[in-house]
Amino acid sequence: MTSDIRSWSLWGRKFTSPVMLASGTAGFGLELLERGSLAGTAIVVSKATTLEPREGNPPPRLVETRFGLLNSVGLANPGVDAVMENILPSAAMLPCPLIVNVAGKSEREFAAVVDRLEGSSIPFGYEINVSCPNVAAGGVAFGASPETVDRIARMVREVTDRPFSVKLTPNEGSLTESARAAEEGGANAVTVSNTYLGMRIDWRTGKPLLHRSVGGYSSPAILPMTVARVFTVSSCVDIPVLASGGATCPEDILELLAAGAAMVQVGTRVMRRPDAAAELLTGIKNFLEETLS
Amino acid sequence: MMTAQGPDLEVTVLENREILPGVHSMVFRTHGNVYADSLPGQFLQVEVSPGPFPVTRRPLTIDGLHGDDCVRVVFESVGSGTSMLAFKPVGTSLRILGPLGRGYELRPGGWLLIGGGLGAAGLGFLASRIDCRSVLLGAATSSRLLPLPGLPVLTATEDGSRGTHGLVTDLLGSVEWTAIENVAVCGPVGMMDAVIRQIPERLLGMTQVSTEARMGCGYGVCEGCSLPAAAGGYLKCCTDGPVIPAADIDWERWRGGNT
Ligand SMILES: Cc1cc2nc3c(=O)[nH]c(=O)nc-3n(C[C@H](O)[C@H](O)[C@H](O)COP(=O)(O)OP(=O)(O)OC[C@H]3O[C@@H](n4cnc5c(N)ncnc54)[C@H](O)[C@@H]3O)c2cc1C
Ligand SMILES: Cc1cc2nc3c(=O)[nH]c(=O)nc-3n(C[C@H](O)[C@H](O)[C@H](O)COP(=O)(O)O)c2cc1C
Ligand code: FES
Repeated sequence: MTSDIRSWSLWGRKFTSPVMLASGTAGFGLELLERGSLAGTAIVVSKATTLEPREGNPPPRLVETRFGLLNSVGLANPGVDAVMENILPSAAMLPCPLIVNVAGKSEREFAAVVDRLEGSSIPFGYEINVSCPNVAAGGVAFGASPETVDRIARMVREVTDRPFSVKLTPNEGSLTESARAAEEGGANAVTVSNTYLGMRIDWRTGKPLLHRSVGGYSSPAILPMTVARVFTVSSCVDIPVLASGGATCPEDILELLAAGAAMVQVGTRVMRRPDAAAELLTGIKNFLEETLS
Repeated sequence: MMTAQGPDLEVTVLENREILPGVHSMVFRTHGNVYADSLPGQFLQVEVSPGPFPVTRRPLTIDGLHGDDCVRVVFESVGSGTSMLAFKPVGTSLRILGPLGRGYELRPGGWLLIGGGLGAAGLGFLASRIDCRSVLLGAATSSRLLPLPGLPVLTATEDGSRGTHGLVTDLLGSVEWTAIENVAVCGPVGMMDAVIRQIPERLLGMTQVSTEARMGCGYGVCEGCSLPAAAGGYLKCCTDGPVIPAADIDWERWRGGNT
């Protein structure tokens, strides 16, 4: 009876855990695999993959704030060809499916990267990260414009039959309109959402603490913002909503599921606790047992 | 060199001593022997609070081992995380992840060890595993000099309160270079860069430096801890290092970019 409650699903697949590992804080899952830390993980989302290699931003790339973390890693990755050749073959050993997170500098780059990844049997699906800046539009995130999101989703849809999620930005534009545009364009889920733009300055010198001045803010403190956005977005699209932002303890996961999420991604927490997924799943099961008994 | 990615353990604070003003020596009992094989230069990630903040751990170099189940760190309170740690009473349990990263490659032949300030943490551990001919220590003032008992140490202080009045590089002139085949350097970037420029060229390829970068995870997944690589792009301090051959680092970019 209770076992029904303890199963979650995405894209026709059933999972015994609602916990996904978010993009950028789990690599491609291989370090965690080597540590034996993937128990409790339903799906690993890879770090961003782009067409060309990107060395990422100069240091410092991280700065901790009193109540969270700012990062400006800058989508550091070896490029899709190296990912295909050197990383995905090892990812066949993962005990869970892998979703490849895809980023781009231009609207066309997303579909171009996905097109290459189609040559591998490994990806369970894709996560299209439209939170990155659109150079042609003056650095505004692709995700800020529903028209752009719609076009990107359609281009991706054209090159793959695999399911994909569009990972939206909470910083610019309307999340609900962009979510609807993703659905219209053929996306099979939306991820709500990415980090919040933030900055820290050393007031003594006037210098920013991150080399790139601004970064993405993640923290347990953003949880209520994610709950609100998941709640709103899940009522206006029919595709699954994947929650991302602030999930730190088992109650957070249950709250995001209650807000309408199909699954919940965990990012920053994994940096502190490699075994976060297993720890969270144990807690979730305990809570569910308590509630159901 | 080898990289090890140790487990996440619940440990007990067995000792917490202020050995210099604001500098603590802390021993963790690990209830197991996973640290027995750790190498000088490796580090651990300390979870300084059981609560949600700070959201990341704090990296600290392994300063030494006690028996088969205890590991020691030496740290300075410089901010929120290290201050929280400094207040942990004996008996507190907390989590440490480690041993992490690449330690020193323990090559044969005579070694010269050079440390700046708290960079001397871990040099005693290294000295116990190699043929240590000489140690050069520099600090702003005598109360920033870590004790390294039993080692052939020459000191320099910027205010002249102990040893030579000046910088650690001022001590390079007194080194018996013929006996030296390996060099280990650990300290602030500016100090390490100055040392690298002044040691004999034949030793450059035999010089290993212990680096630092702001870390997120400490075990290779977040790409937060970048160090400029001589080959272009970046190395990851936590898994390519923290101990890195001096020649593999782009010192120009590292000095420039580090704030
Ligand atoms: C591999 C490695 C080994 C280290 N070993 C030691 C050690 O043995 N003993 C020791 O005292 N310190 C060591 N450090 C530095 C130590 O990790 C930082 O001092 C600590 O993280 C600061 O945390 P905080 O919360 O107290 O400071 P914060 O409040 O975060 O910052 C205070 C100050 O510390 C600096 N800082 C913050 N994080 C780092 C960091 N990761 N590296 C360098 N500076 C930082 C900031 O620039 C700032 O000036 C090591 C760092 C690394 C990367
Ligand atoms: C160090 C770091 C790197 C990240 N890299 C990416 C990335 O490459 N692509 C992406 O879509 N999101 C990236 N993110 C955002 C996370 O996937 C996640 O959406 C965000 O951190 C909020 O969730 P959290 O509070 O659980 O961390 C990154 C976050 C961090 C902290
Ligand atoms: S600190 Fe995360 S990769 Fe090095």
